[in-house]
Formats: sequence, structure tokens, C-alpha cells
Amino acid sequence: MLKTMNQKISVFLILFGIGYLYLSYNLKEYPYVPVDSDLVPKALGYLLVGLAVLLFFDKSSETEEQKKKRSVPKKELMVILAVGGMIFLYIFLFEIVGFLIATALFIFFCSWFLGYNRWVSNLLVSLIFPSVLYYLFNYLLQIRLPQGILPF
Amino acid sequence: MGALDGLMQGFQVAFSLQGIMFVLIGVVTGTLIGMMPGLGPISAIAIMIPVTYGMDPSAALVMMAGVYYGAVFGGSTSSILLNAPGISGTVATAFDGYPMAQRGEAGKALAIAAISSFTGGTVSVVLLMLFAPALAQVAVSFGPPQYFALMFLGLTAISSLSEGSTIKALIAATLGFIAATIGMDAQTGTTRFTFGTPNLIEGIDFLVIALGLFAIAEVCFLIINRKDKSLSKQSDIGNLKLSKEDLKEMKGPMTRQSFLGFILGVLPGAGATIASFIGYITEKRIAKKPEEFGKGSVRGVAAPETANNAATSGAFVPLLSLGIPGSGTTAVMLGAFLVLGIQPGPLLVQDRPEVFWGIIASMYIGNVFLLILNLPLIPYIAKILKISRPMLISLVIIFSLIGVYSISFSTFDLYLLLIFGVIGYLMRLFSFPAAPFILAFILGGMMEQALRQALTASGGNLAILVSDPISISLLIVSALSFVVPLIRIRKKDATQD
Repeated sequence: MLKTMNQKISVFLILFGIGYLYLSYNLKEYPYVPVDSDLVPKALGYLLVGLAVLLFFDKSSETEEQKKKRSVPKKELMVILAVGGMIFLYIFLFEIVGFLIATALFIFFCSWFLGYNRWVSNLLVSLIFPSVLYYLFNYLLQIRLPQGILPF
Repeated sequence: MGALDGLMQGFQVAFSLQGIMFVLIGVVTGTLIGMMPGLGPISAIAIMIPVTYGMDPSAALVMMAGVYYGAVFGGSTSSILLNAPGISGTVATAFDGYPMAQRGEAGKALAIAAISSFTGGTVSVVLLMLFAPALAQVAVSFGPPQYFALMFLGLTAISSLSEGSTIKALIAATLGFIAATIGMDAQTGTTRFTFGTPNLIEGIDFLVIALGLFAIAEVCFLIINRKDKSLSKQSDIGNLKLSKEDLKEMKGPMTRQSFLGFILGVLPGAGATIASFIGYITEKRIAKKPEEFGKGSVRGVAAPETANNAATSGAFVPLLSLGIPGSGTTAVMLGAFLVLGIQPGPLLVQDRPEVFWGIIASMYIGNVFLLILNLPLIPYIAKILKISRPMLISLVIIFSLIGVYSISFSTFDLYLLLIFGVIGYLMRLFSFPAAPFILAFILGGMMEQALRQALTASGGNLAILVSDPISISLLIVSALSFVVPLIRIRKKDATQD
């Protein structure tokens, strides 16, 4: 049934479009205007479903280059997921332990994980880079980054 | 205020010590970021937005123009040195620039690129200066129907002209528009698609989308190719000097492509990438020795480099005079303007002449800086390419996260950034172009307002959208823009048979 990748994507988009349309039809009405806030979302929902149907029947297949781009080795996918996990952890800790500590840890471990094995320079960058940024933002640009558990 | 007075005032802003410093910072940072594989002007501008907070708007814009130019030039550098174009606008530069570099003439190729960029950029700023105020005067009379038609044209043009499947580009644009409907409706105050969270009431910040779809998504590809050693190989770039013959060769392409590139840049949807390819192809077609192209021809480097820079300034015409961006990059630029409290549009020339002419003047200066500053510094700047990939990846991630946090101060937006990074990665994986998405996202809110204002005025009658010659012709052109991909498909079918 779903032979090509485009058809799989198309089905996903149609489902997404239907969900969006469902939400659009449930938007609160505002009685005093000739065109309400649901007009554009409804139009977009139908447009998306229509385009997705066109994609389903689109004959043009993927080029070799596109297929090659899409084939990511499982191992690399795991690496990307792991980095994604680290970013997640970074965001989670960002306001709790503060910018300086979280960023230093992130740069050090992320670089190390991706294969950077010069310990000394890694350590130096992870300490100096966040400190410079922190100084720049907090004191020169007056943009407060979270200070967390540190006193400055 | 006349154009000349305005320009003088602009030069005063840009030529002050502060102004020069900001152009300098902008050009250098832009070049550095643009050199990174995958990171182009969109990421460069987005990353620099937080730095401009609290700055004087004119100074901030001067810096942004520098970033923009620098990023385009940085892309050419990595195209020539590594055959790894930083952005799609410099892909054509690699065709002849890289063979030249392999012959040990990287310095010469870089010099050609710098001089052509300077010429293309400067000619096109002169044209911009002449056309933008005139166009703005016409646009003052535009009402919601005309604006709607204009933005509609921008979206259809960028979709039909983007590489690959037109349907996918249109889907990307529709999804971008859908993302723009999230949040409180500006007319009725109805909250839409916020799922009850107060974090979404103001909608999604454009920086989240720009950095997610471009910078974070690109990080995924950097991760996969992190062991690619080609980046650290490059060492000697050779002599930067050009001979008289070289300059003579460059003259023709530079003159023609400055004008052609500008026109293509003004047109919505086209921009630097298409201009550089068309520039390359036309020069190859009219060249006396077309067989030299692809093997390190001087003309082959000069043509795309002139064209992409000319288009870069050309793209500012609709942005400054109509307030409507025609490309992904100018869409992010518009975001940067709005962050600074500047609303580009027909009234900008009248109401904020110092800003308008400041930008124009800074473009002149940005071009000069690119030439005199970057050329001698290139051997040193190119060293950044030696930064190990793993470290580079960590730093790009941090820059993106801080950029978003410093605009919203909420970790919710950081999670959102991560989500849009995943969406951007998936889009690239399945060949959905990201530029229509970001343009639709930025235009979406404006388009919806224009449409509803028009319909409110007409009491819901759709005929108002086609009630005058300007909007009718704009809508006809948008319909025609789909003829281009259709012809392309036909041609392909014909060659296959």
C-alpha cells in the first residue's frame, strides 16, 4: 500500500492536517466580526490536506542523491539522539545550576563524546568560553543569564 | 529629504567611529560563521540578534548588514578552499574556484571572489538606492488587498523556484503558515492552538524557528560528517595577486552579472542561489572558450560571485520599501528589524530616514571592508576551518540556545528550539526546503491580518481581493510562477522518453 517514502509522509501530513482542522473547527467564536479567527486556519488545513494528497500521487521519485542523503547509519542516528539527550539535560539544568556550570559541562562532555580527545584544550575552552559569554551578556549587554548556584 | 542628503546623513552614522567598529565586527563575525559548512546568512543573522539588544538601532543595523555580507563572502571562502559551500548561494563558486585551489591558486580565486563580490555588491547598492525610495512611494497607496497579493506572490515564488519538488516546497510553506497561527489572534484575542499553555499565547518566536530549522538541523549533519578530515587539510593558499589579463577577463562577467544579479535579487523568491547559477550558466554560454568552465576559469568564479552579492543587496529592495521579505534570509532580517523596533515599509524612508540611509551607507562601507579587510586576513581567518568538528558542534549548539534564551528568558522556548531542530532535520532528510517554511512563518501573521482587514472592509466579499489592477496582476504573476516548474517537469519527461 504505502510503497514510497513520499506516500508515508503524505499519510502523516493528512493526519496532521485533519487534527489541525479539528482544532480549527473548535475555536471559540467571536460574534462581532465578519471574518473570525478560524477562517485562515481552516483554509490552511484544507490546503495542507490537498497538497498532501497531491504528494501521495506524485509520480516523481526520489533521486539517488536524495536517497543517499536519507540513509543514515543506525550508529550515527544513536549519536545524534545522544547529543539531543545532552541538549535536553542542558536545558533542564540550565536554570537550576546556572549558565556557567551547565555550559562548561555541556561543552566538555559533548566535545569529548563526539571524539575530541585533547583534554587540556577541551578543558580550557569549556572554562574560558562560557566565562567570556557570561561576562559579555551579564555585564556588557545587560542580559541576565541564570546565575544558578554560583554567587556571581 | 533628498537622496543625497539622506545618504550623507547615512554615511555620518556609518562612518562614525562606532559605526565603523560595528561594520567591522559584523563583517568579521559574518565571515567566520558563513565559513562554517552549512551555516549561512540565516544562522549568522539569527545568532547575532541577541547581541544587538539595547544598541542604537542604526548601529545595530549597520552591524547586521555587515554580518549578511560577511556570511555570503565566508560561504565563498569555504567553497573555494574546501569545495564545501557554506551556503547554497556559493555552490556555483566551487565549480571553478575549487579546481583553481587544487592547482595551488587558491589565493587568486579568493581575490577574484572578493573583487567580484565587491563590484556586484556596490553596483547593486547604487541601484537599490535609486529604486527603493521610488518603489516605496508607489507602495504608500497600497491597501490590505494589494499587500495580501504581494505576500502571496512572495510565497508562491519562493515555493516554485526552490530546488526539488514544488509540492514539497508548498507543503513547507503551508506548515510555516500553520506555525504562525499559533498564539493569540491579533484581531479578536482568541487564543489558537496553545493547548492551554501560557507560553504559547504570544506565538512562537521567529528566532526559535530560524535557529531550529537552520542551525540546529545543520548540527545533525555536522555530527554525521564529524570525522571528515578535509577541513584540516588546507594549508597554503598561494599568491593573492591578479594579473592584468585576469582583470580583463573579469570585466565582462562583472558588469553583466551586477545588473542581472540585482534584478534577480529584487524578484521575490529568486535570491542569491538562483542568481549565482543563472550567472554561471549565462557566462558559460556566451564565453568564447566555454570548455574552460569547470576547470578553474576566471570567469567561472567571477560570474557567480558577482551575481550572488548583487542579488543579496537586490533582496533589500522589497524588504526596505515594501516591508516584505522575498527570501528566507531577508525574512530573518525582517525579524531582526522588528526586534530593534523598526518596521520596514513604505514609510521607513519618510519616518526614519536616518535608519534607511544608514543601512544603505553601511552597505557601501560593508563592501569596502570586505575587500580591504578580508583579503589580507583570509589566510588567518581560514584557520577557523581547522577547529575540530566536535568542538565546533558544541559551540554552535550553545550559541543557538543562548540566542533563544536571551530573547525570551524561558526554558520552554529552548525545548521548542530542540523540537524545531528535529523538524528541520527531518525536513532536510526528506528533501523539504526550509526557506519557504521560514518565509511563510514570518509573512503568515501579516498576510492573515491583511486578508482579514480586506474582508472586513468588504463585509466578507472575496471579490475585494481582485478589485484593482495591482492586486490582479500580482495574483496572475503568482499563478504564472508555477509555470516554471511545470516546464521543468515537461523538459525532464521529454529527455527521459
